Amino acid sequence: MSDNNKLLSIRNLKKVYRTRDGELEALGSVTFDVNQQEFVSIVGPSGCGKTTLLKIIAGLLPKSEGEIIVNQDSFDPAREVGFVFQKPLLLHWRKVLDNVLLPIEILKLDRKKYVDRARELLNLVGLEGFEQRYPNELSGGMQQRVSIARALIHDPKLILMDEPFGALDAITREKMNLELLRIWSESKKTILFITHEISEAVFLGDRVIVLSARPSKMVGSYDIALERPRALSQKATPEFGEYTISIYQKLEVV
Amino acid sequence: MKAAITVKNKKKPRRLSQRLQSIGAVFLFFLVWEAVVRIANINEAFISTPSSAIAHLLFAQPDANYHWQKNISVTLYDFVLGFLFTAVGGTLIGILIGWSKTIQKAVMPLFVMFNSIPMVAIAPILLIWMGYGLKTNILIAFLASFFPMVINTSAGLASVEDDLLDLVRYLNGSKWQTFWKIRLPSALPYIFSGLKICTTLSVMGVIVGELIASDSGLGYVIVNAQLMMDTPPMFASLIMMSLLGWGMFLIVSIVERLAMPWAFKDEIQ
Repeated sequence: MSDNNKLLSIRNLKKVYRTRDGELEALGSVTFDVNQQEFVSIVGPSGCGKTTLLKIIAGLLPKSEGEIIVNQDSFDPAREVGFVFQKPLLLHWRKVLDNVLLPIEILKLDRKKYVDRARELLNLVGLEGFEQRYPNELSGGMQQRVSIARALIHDPKLILMDEPFGALDAITREKMNLELLRIWSESKKTILFITHEISEAVFLGDRVIVLSARPSKMVGSYDIALERPRALSQKATPEFGEYTISIYQKLEVV
Repeated sequence: MKAAITVKNKKKPRRLSQRLQSIGAVFLFFLVWEAVVRIANINEAFISTPSSAIAHLLFAQPDANYHWQKNISVTLYDFVLGFLFTAVGGTLIGILIGWSKTIQKAVMPLFVMFNSIPMVAIAPILLIWMGYGLKTNILIAFLASFFPMVINTSAGLASVEDDLLDLVRYLNGSKWQTFWKIRLPSALPYIFSGLKICTTLSVMGVIVGELIASDSGLGYVIVNAQLMMDTPPMFASLIMMSLLGWGMFLIVSIVERLAMPWAFKDEIQ
């Protein structure tokens, strides 16, 4: 792919935490590119620094070494990044609609102009009619949908997702994966999706980046040539199996 | 895809029966009290029956010291002002302490020290300084009840989940926004439980002031009646004090419901 299609270039990114017991290398050295409207999955074992990587990109943590190059003149991370956390992190004193509008208030944009968009996004994530509910009236899966709508409200180019479905049961998770792919294809965003589930990474991604255990190195990058739109039946195909097996091998599980 | 959920509906009938239970328990208490005094034939100079205490409240008293309307309104006034003063002042101090770790470290030991002194022991000194009256009683009420208010508010502000702060931080939100949109609302349950503790402590503070020196109020009634071994007005006074505290508690609970409607929704199972 050509260079102007690139949104993000990550070069030798390192993160070292200084603790009382010495230095802890959370992120070895990671280099990869993310293209516009690409769905990139990042997979790796627990504690391999996946979350650290996302937080550095979002500006929540300082990097120790390396570079994040954004191929865009006006890229303000606060405006152009939407973050979906592991937990839904909804403000339980706000109704669903007001939760979705939180980033608009933080960014000091005109709330009125975004109310319609918030409603559209709630439709997009399948929560039409729940605008005036409080979060604790919703199930875990529904709460995470609200947080996806919230990450999209300010129309960021890049959506960072940190194991967003990790807390859900397997069946709900499969449903949410399909939903996410639909939302992604309709909203035309670039997604960086972290998971420790290899089959989830392969099923969702255009590309899967494999990180090793700590200190994490990038040990592989796979272009997933499965047809889109993806369907659950593809999980039963030999191609899908080959991808997952070779990632397992890379991670030395088998 | 639209997920269908059912919100469990368990509202009205149970609440009504709970309310009846509470009223029934209070009624039963008075009934047992009345019965014990009558059956055991206890001298009313030791324990008044609730009926004569209430009768004392209801009927005009020839003795000017027992002017109930005046005494109740004096105590009510002191109590309401003292409580409001503590509610606002305690919350603000709690916010200040929650805002800055430095302030917290500096003033916390002082607060703990002050709070360890029994109010009954400080009151006489305050009386020398300020004379008796409204200001003194409000100050005593404040000193008696500000501590839980301060502690609860600052603990509430500190209780916020770190991840929730990330939510504002990645959008480059200010400390001010974090405070208004995240910290303060998540501290509300703590602030309200502080207020509830405050209601009873404020009654105590005001009454301590009145017991030590005053010329009116429910505390004054008690001191005055004690000299004459006249127990019905003493018990009448106690009943009124408890009603004051209870009434304010009720008001705080209602405001709590209005301020935090989310906390009173039924969670789905």
